[in-house]
Amino acid sequence: MSTRLGNWLDERTGWRRAWEAIFLRKVPKVNWLYTLGSATLFVAINQIVTGILLTIYYVPTPDQAYDSVQYITTEVSAGWLIRGLHHWGASAMVVLAVLHMLRVIFNGSYKFPREMTWVTGVVLLLVVLGFSFTGYLLPWDQKAYWATTVGTQIAGAPPVIGDTILRIVRGGEELTAVTLARFFGVHVWMLPAGLMILLGVHLYLVVRIGISAAPKREE
Amino acid sequence: MDEERKIGRRRFLSLTTWAIGGVISAGLAIPAIAYIVGPALKREEAQDWIRIGSASKVEIGTPTLFKTKIKRRTGWIVNEEERTVYVLTENGRDFVAMSNICTHLGCRVRWIAEQEQFFCPCHNGIFAKDGRVLGGPPPRPLDRYEVKVEDDQLFILGG
Repeated sequence: MSTRLGNWLDERTGWRRAWEAIFLRKVPKVNWLYTLGSATLFVAINQIVTGILLTIYYVPTPDQAYDSVQYITTEVSAGWLIRGLHHWGASAMVVLAVLHMLRVIFNGSYKFPREMTWVTGVVLLLVVLGFSFTGYLLPWDQKAYWATTVGTQIAGAPPVIGDTILRIVRGGEELTAVTLARFFGVHVWMLPAGLMILLGVHLYLVVRIGISAAPKREE
Repeated sequence: MDEERKIGRRRFLSLTTWAIGGVISAGLAIPAIAYIVGPALKREEAQDWIRIGSASKVEIGTPTLFKTKIKRRTGWIVNEEERTVYVLTENGRDFVAMSNICTHLGCRVRWIAEQEQFFCPCHNGIFAKDGRVLGGPPPRPLDRYEVKVEDDQLFILGG
């Protein structure tokens, strides 16, 4: 039955070829460090799912942000779990992405023909850090407020253009409702859009070129 | 032994991957559903007696409008909400408190003194002064609150 359905679909979509190209491709002999990329992808999916769920209750305004987060944590069924997964997943995401990058550096996997995979990967890491920075403000508690005060102040450090950058990041002189709203917008719309595009290219290249073999001792 | 031989290493790993993936997906999907529907399944908090005003203000034989503000928690917001109640008495001792919400689709009804009827402007629902349906689409009489009188003060039971 399922084979027949699969055949029917395959005739019309050619899904089997795509499936084989993605999941049944030949892989050189590698070790567990080569799973760090997949681990990062796994956590990214976790962040997307839990993040979408959080927006059901979260409200990005100064008078409601904190209360809505408390409501999620203490009153919504499994809210503590969804928020917890997003919170800890955020840290795991940064750690795994960095470890993944270190593995690529140490094994020289960034070399020809995988330069573009590397470049998109580096930008992806920047996107992840952008997620961390903007997401940190959203609970709108003391830690969030002051961490973002300091963080945006750092953005204002460069000479000449520093003050302009600071004002653009904060949406004004001070950390206000405007800041919270734009951090939310960047966190749930702009960065996810960037993540999707870059991740698509990154994974396409991994599938197309294949992963590099672990370097041998004599090489 | 023969049975075990049939499942090769490749097939075993494939099945294991699917199983673990399924467990993780379910582990997230089940809390996610609970999370989404949770607040919808919560019953309203315990009802309480709400003071709406002085019983002597009720004119005998005419529904009298009472408005009162109550504090209500919805989600993470505490709001002041207005409760509007029509109170009717025929003898000054027994009181009937009716909601002013039309039983058809929830618009507010209003007492038309000349016609001695409640009228709903949305779909021309008409109720008698005791809340019976006289015409239009409403499926049932106006909802009633439980009422009590203490020291000339009217209370209704609501949340």
